Amino acid sequence: MAKRPFHAVSALAGLAVPTRLGEGRGDPGVTIEERVGLGLATVAARKGQAEALKGAVASAYGVELPDGSRVAHGPSISFVGYGPGQWLAVSESLVNETLARDLGQRLRGLASISDQSGGRAVLRVSGPRARAVLAKGLPIDLHPRAFTPGSAATSTISLMGVQLWQVDDAPTYDLAIFRSVSASFWRWLTASAGEFGYEVVGRER
Amino acid sequence: MTTARQPNRLGEGGLIDRSQTVRFEFDGAPLAGHPGDTLASALLANGIRLVGRSFKYHRPRGILTAGSEEPSALVELRTGARREPNTRATMIELYDGLSAASQNRWPSVKFDVLAANQLFGPIFSAGFYYKTFMWPPTFWEKVYEPMIRRAAGLGRGAGVADPDHYEKAYAFCDVLVVGSGPAGLAATLAAARSGARVILCEEDFRLGGRLLAERYEIDGKPARDWVETVEAELEAQPECRILRRTTVQGVYDGGTYAALERVNDHVLKPLAHEPRQRLWRIVAKRVVVCAGALERPIVFGNNDRPGVMLAGAVRSYVNRFGLAPGRRAVIFADNDDAFRTASDLAQAGIEIAAAVDGRRTPSRAAQEAAEAAGARYRAVAVIERVRGLHGVKGVEIRDEKGRERMACDLIAVSGGWNPTLHLTTHLNAKPQWNDRLAALVPGALPPGMSVAGAARGTYGLAACLAEGEEAGAKAASECGFAASASRPRASDESVTASPLWQVAESKGKAFIDFQNDVAVSDVKLAACEGFRIPEHLKRYTTLGMATDQGKTGNANGAAVLAAVTGRYIGAVGTTTFRPPYTPVAISAFAGHHRGPDFRPARLAASHGFAEEQGAVFVETGPWLRALYYPKPGEEPQDSVNREVATVRGQAGVCDVSTLGKIDVQGKDASIFLDRVYANTFSTLPVGKARYGLMLREDGFVLDDGTTARLAEDHYFMTTTTVNAVKVMQHLEFCQQALWPELDVQTVSVTEQWAQFAVAGPRARDVLQGVVDPAYDLSNAAFPYLACGEVTVAGGVPARLYRLSFSGELAYEIGVPARFGEALIRAIMEAGAPFGLAPYGTEALGVLRIEKGHPAGGELNGQTTAHDLGFGKMLSTKKDFIGRFMAAREALTDPLRPTLVGLRPLAREDRVRAGAHLIPKDKEATARNDQGYVTSIAFSPSLGHWLGLGLLSRGPERHGEIVRAYDHVRGGDILVEVRPPCFIDPEGERVRG
Repeated sequence: MAKRPFHAVSALAGLAVPTRLGEGRGDPGVTIEERVGLGLATVAARKGQAEALKGAVASAYGVELPDGSRVAHGPSISFVGYGPGQWLAVSESLVNETLARDLGQRLRGLASISDQSGGRAVLRVSGPRARAVLAKGLPIDLHPRAFTPGSAATSTISLMGVQLWQVDDAPTYDLAIFRSVSASFWRWLTASAGEFGYEVVGRER
Repeated sequence: MTTARQPNRLGEGGLIDRSQTVRFEFDGAPLAGHPGDTLASALLANGIRLVGRSFKYHRPRGILTAGSEEPSALVELRTGARREPNTRATMIELYDGLSAASQNRWPSVKFDVLAANQLFGPIFSAGFYYKTFMWPPTFWEKVYEPMIRRAAGLGRGAGVADPDHYEKAYAFCDVLVVGSGPAGLAATLAAARSGARVILCEEDFRLGGRLLAERYEIDGKPARDWVETVEAELEAQPECRILRRTTVQGVYDGGTYAALERVNDHVLKPLAHEPRQRLWRIVAKRVVVCAGALERPIVFGNNDRPGVMLAGAVRSYVNRFGLAPGRRAVIFADNDDAFRTASDLAQAGIEIAAAVDGRRTPSRAAQEAAEAAGARYRAVAVIERVRGLHGVKGVEIRDEKGRERMACDLIAVSGGWNPTLHLTTHLNAKPQWNDRLAALVPGALPPGMSVAGAARGTYGLAACLAEGEEAGAKAASECGFAASASRPRASDESVTASPLWQVAESKGKAFIDFQNDVAVSDVKLAACEGFRIPEHLKRYTTLGMATDQGKTGNANGAAVLAAVTGRYIGAVGTTTFRPPYTPVAISAFAGHHRGPDFRPARLAASHGFAEEQGAVFVETGPWLRALYYPKPGEEPQDSVNREVATVRGQAGVCDVSTLGKIDVQGKDASIFLDRVYANTFSTLPVGKARYGLMLREDGFVLDDGTTARLAEDHYFMTTTTVNAVKVMQHLEFCQQALWPELDVQTVSVTEQWAQFAVAGPRARDVLQGVVDPAYDLSNAAFPYLACGEVTVAGGVPARLYRLSFSGELAYEIGVPARFGEALIRAIMEAGAPFGLAPYGTEALGVLRIEKGHPAGGELNGQTTAHDLGFGKMLSTKKDFIGRFMAAREALTDPLRPTLVGLRPLAREDRVRAGAHLIPKDKEATARNDQGYVTSIAFSPSLGHWLGLGLLSRGPERHGEIVRAYDHVRGGDILVEVRPPCFIDPEGERVRG
């Protein structure tokens, strides 16, 4: 057995360090936060079980699974649609592997669950210039007439795959990226946010 | 303040701020201008007309235009790493500290040695390259190429990395308006008032287009006031975005437009955190092109001398920039519009020597305009020659009465206007010739595009405003927004053309393409030699091939070609306009993607650890993997040898997280895998893993890997690192298109698991120090190819697989990626007493070659299962992808090269990958070629080089000696054909 307990390292550890950077005048145009410790899992409906799955999710987690590229928030889990019968489940309370385990137990036979809690970094980008920052890499129209809280998209940013969903009108967006490209993504994000000034928030890690 | 004197600056007028001085430098001389100036206007204000030397003949050149079409006034802008060659002085916004230099001259712009090229004009004529550098062929590399390289090109690149940042951005709108002249502003206003999302792109740093350069009135007030009013209203519209200094460069499918924004070209260096330039990709439901028109010169003798300027540009410099581009002017034109210049010149106090009208019949309007300005009107007259070398000193005019010499220092020339229709043709629509305008006008338009104003051949101001407004309103309403009209009032000038094109009796070189030095004589010669189509003429003479893409020259070129070949100009045709509309720096296309960000790099969870260990990394697909872990002072080969020996002797650890990992779940997961793999997986018990081989539809091998069964309805598939994406796509295709009826779900979990191979005789000992004690790792409890869930470090979930790529006792252990770094450190710690060391992909490669496992070199897309010795894996009890096609005659031909091991006969010989395998006593010819070496390695276990190869009838030839002939490196050695597996062929170690 290993001699010491394992220390978890988040995808952006050492990068998303709380600080104010970029253009220094005025309020920061965006704030950036790595959402750590989230439970993340993909949920894919089994053949012919879509309706049963919806019912099971509604009764187990109090949320209606969204159709299409939408996010629906339940008390403990948000579901982000990324394909027909496919969702990314995101939870703050069912942390790390516990989410996939919980989903696996409650949705047995209705959905295939894969733990992704280690495989994604989730970044929260918020503030008046959030759209302008994301426009430098995301080929998706985030104008309020086209994309609102509850909207979600699966796309790419600067050649890196991304799932994003709008949280509120601030506007605030959550972006799930693949863990292995975290450093490349961070360089793109900070280069893009620099001209507006940005603040990295979150706890010191 | 000696620098503040600007001898040609008018006392008042123009859109420059005389209260402030901007200091700059040209060819080292300190000069001054004002905010609102371009480099071109500031040079003219300072009395500098000679700006550079031409490309081929090194002729003195000045400033022809006041816009982005400028062919002549090309300078090197900035110094050091930011130096940018061939920059158009007309497009450079003046800023404090600007430094520019003339180019293509030595030692100075006034005295240039290579100007002697002019004497050899006949040599440098059309087709010069094709004719001159034909023979002897041996001269190409040693004589011709260096000579051309020295002489060719204009400015010098910086030669060092660009220190500035460039970026890309996406924008979306209902209506995109290109150009902010009268039509563009009216269109934008109409669209913006409707509430539609509007983007207006203006190439200039100031809105207004020609309204800035003319003395028009709108609604009874100076047009500039109207521009300001509209601008203010647009700025206040929340859904209207104005992009200044932004050129729409190209039109692409689906309503996509490329636009280059010069964010920080107008300052000494980009503001901190800002890019120099931004390349926009704009997606618009509708686009209104209001790009205006480009004036064309007339072709006459020495029409390239500094001081010859387009009439419209003269009005720009007088009216917008408040300067006198000359003291005594001659107007030479074939249209009434150009003679309006007389009035502007007179108001600026510039003497007009003559107004020379090249048309066959006198024009009353032109005569009145000229005479009202006190100029002598010369009807049916032409300029045959310009006098003066470094600048215009006079002209030779000829009319019906005869010739006359006249002193002047400025020639305002106009041969009419060409609608700026480039964007309408980017999706391949052909422009159409219009006789009334004597110009090409837009033809069929791409979906979603409309054209208004001068870009459409509508030249009157009132008509432009009306047309713009209508187009803007229509575009908005097509997007679902109701627009109302306001109809600004303005007068309308009528425009008809009877173009002169060229002065046939010209004396001296008469230029068509100023930037590439193409003269009338070149077009004549080309036509003579059979190049009678504009596309051919272009390639042969280089007419229109310069960075300005012939904006001022193409029409005249077509006209001269028509005249020479006796054709109607409308039938001659045109060349093809392609994006970008104006030159775009490569940096702008690269954007953020340069250096380490050329493409995203995928880093494994143990990357930091590997860096600490001094690993040397290698790109494998998008991943950066540790290649080897040299100890201080260790050569690469020594490091690899040591790593291999450690694995064979004790134990090693290697990050294998980069392998593709796919969760395959569902009731029909077994059926699915049986169909995608050539071998059977439905029979695999839960808790076991199996090696699998996947074929393409065409029967060749797609990929290989191990797949473990975690539950009845849950498999965990691995792929090679390089093919991970391809395999995922393949599975999705199978699921969605081939067998949608199956209950199977696949998802990539590559990123979820940090996975390490622990290999070597002490691997079990090492892992016992990592895995929690509740799990029995003994051979009986966890045999070869077992798999299962375990915990490490007191409860961290992990998956353990007993797999081996190295041929040693080995395991792979995976944890959620956030624990990857902790796990590698725990393995290192647990392994220290057993001599464990990390090994990289190079050692991994050596280990598998020693073991005869095929990988990248063998899984090359050209090999079948039989070729790789996997023929027996092809199940005969089920159907699977590739089964039928793999049975094709050619794919089962026993003569096909098949996997073998190769050992050099002389043990010190080095086997080379790529060497061809030839029978021992045969010549090294294609006829005798029987295969080739696919992978090689120095085997520290055996103490010599060895290889894997594909050899015809390979398995039957074990023991035979063949030649390994390496054409590339001249190697020719004898190798012994062996079974591919060199180490532990019975496979006892993996089961130990």
